[in-house]
Order: sequence, then C-alpha cells, then structure tokens
Amino acid sequence: MSDSTSAADELVYTRVFDAPRELVFRCMVEPEHLTHFWGPAGVSTPIETIKVDPRPGGRFETVMVNDADGSQYPTRAVFVEIAEPERLVWTEPDSGLITTSTFRDLGGSRTEVSIHQANVPAPYRTPEAQAGFATSLDRFAAYLATLS
Amino acid sequence: MTVVQEQLDSTFAALADPTRRAIVARLARGDATVNELAAPFAMTLPGVSKHLKVLERCGLISRTRHAQFRPCHLERAALDSAASWIEESRRVWTERFDKLDEHLRDLQAKPSQDEATQ
Repeated sequence: MSDSTSAADELVYTRVFDAPRELVFRCMVEPEHLTHFWGPAGVSTPIETIKVDPRPGGRFETVMVNDADGSQYPTRAVFVEIAEPERLVWTEPDSGLITTSTFRDLGGSRTEVSIHQANVPAPYRTPEAQAGFATSLDRFAAYLATLS
Repeated sequence: MTVVQEQLDSTFAALADPTRRAIVARLARGDATVNELAAPFAMTLPGVSKHLKVLERCGLISRTRHAQFRPCHLERAALDSAASWIEESRRVWTERFDKLDEHLRDLQAKPSQDEATQ
C-alpha cells in the first residue's frame, strides 16, 4: 500500500487486490461483504448495523464495535456518486470529509483501489482530541520519510 | 470553514511539498537558522525563505522576531494535529484493506458458500 498527501488537504491510499473489479466494487457497497472488513483490526461491524442505499443522496451508515470493550463508533455518510464498477464517492456530513474510491481494472483479475480523502474532519482538531494523542514527532518523521 | 479547519488544511498543503517536508524533518531535530536550513538544498536563501514563509503562515514553524539570526522553531502542536489525523486515517484504511484482501481470497476460494464460513 502506498499513500501520500497529493493536494492541499487530501490523502490517497492505494492497494492492489487479486480479484475482478466488479467483485471488489460490490464488496464496498454490500453489507454482507462490508461486515467482513469495514472495521479495522480488533473492531467488528455487525451486518445489522450496516445501512447502504447506493444512489446519490442515499445513506451509508455503520456501527463499528470494539471487540475488547464493546464501545461503539457509529459512522454516518451520504453517497454523492455511484458509478459501478469504477467510482464511489461519499461525504460525512458531521465532519465534511469526502471519500472517493476509484476501482481500476489492471487485467488478469486484478484491481487497484485508490481511496482519496479530502476535507480533514473536525473532531481531531478539538483541544480534547489533541490532548488524547501522544506527541509523536519521531513516528511522524518516519512517516514523512515514506512520503518523500 | 472554521479558522481552525483552514489552518489544518493549510498545514496539509504545506506538507505536500518535499522540500518543506525535509525542512520540517530537520527542525524536528532542533531549531535552525535560514542558512543552516538552506545548506542541504541547492537553493538560494530567498528560495528557502519562501518555503519558510509558507510553513510560518500555517503555524508549523515560528521565528524569533528580534534575534539576529532568527532561528526557526518547529511548532509541535500544529504538527501533531495533522500527524494524528493522518496516522489514524492511514491505520484504519491499511487494516481495512488487509481484511478486504482476506475476504476476497475467501470469496474466490469458495465462491458458492462465501458468507457461511465466517
């Protein structure tokens, strides 16, 4: 996976999957697939909490549940664009974050997925949130090195 | 867009440039003058000063107004705020992609009973 700051407030994450584009796209919009991977490590996303209405203006909501302590992280987004199987755009009204997923057919049943994120969300800017993060200049310096 | 949001947006813009990232990485090791910062780069002092102005405007660095050599200082709070968000977002998508990769393998290994197995 590669990532970079590509524009003013945008991040890009890219990964190549050994699967045909139609299947990878469906994984991103169908609850029975999303439940398998939407939560990061140690976090589940129960299928009954996933609401997907794949059309412009349709909702995209999940509740991620921490496996260790049961704490819940609801996510709430609205689809802006659905161009199966090439492009998927949603926004998070609470934060303004815009996420664009691009699916590129590499041939031979391989698909490159790029996640572009624009508009940095507000919760991470509050003093409370910042106080919760450890100062991590060393790690950040290492991260900067990966960008160069 | 709030003032704070604009500031964080400009922080990301500032860090999108490789020379400015190198300057920030240098200042993470300690304060430095413009001359010291210019040394590793094949750049004129005005060229480096331009980058420093961008970093100063978004609050990533500060400079002493009256000191003779005006050493540049990295403002950790501004950097942490940007770094925390980047790290968290990157972690979530990395782990999500790991799981998706695994899920796609499962699906293609047994396409007829994909959901029953987990």
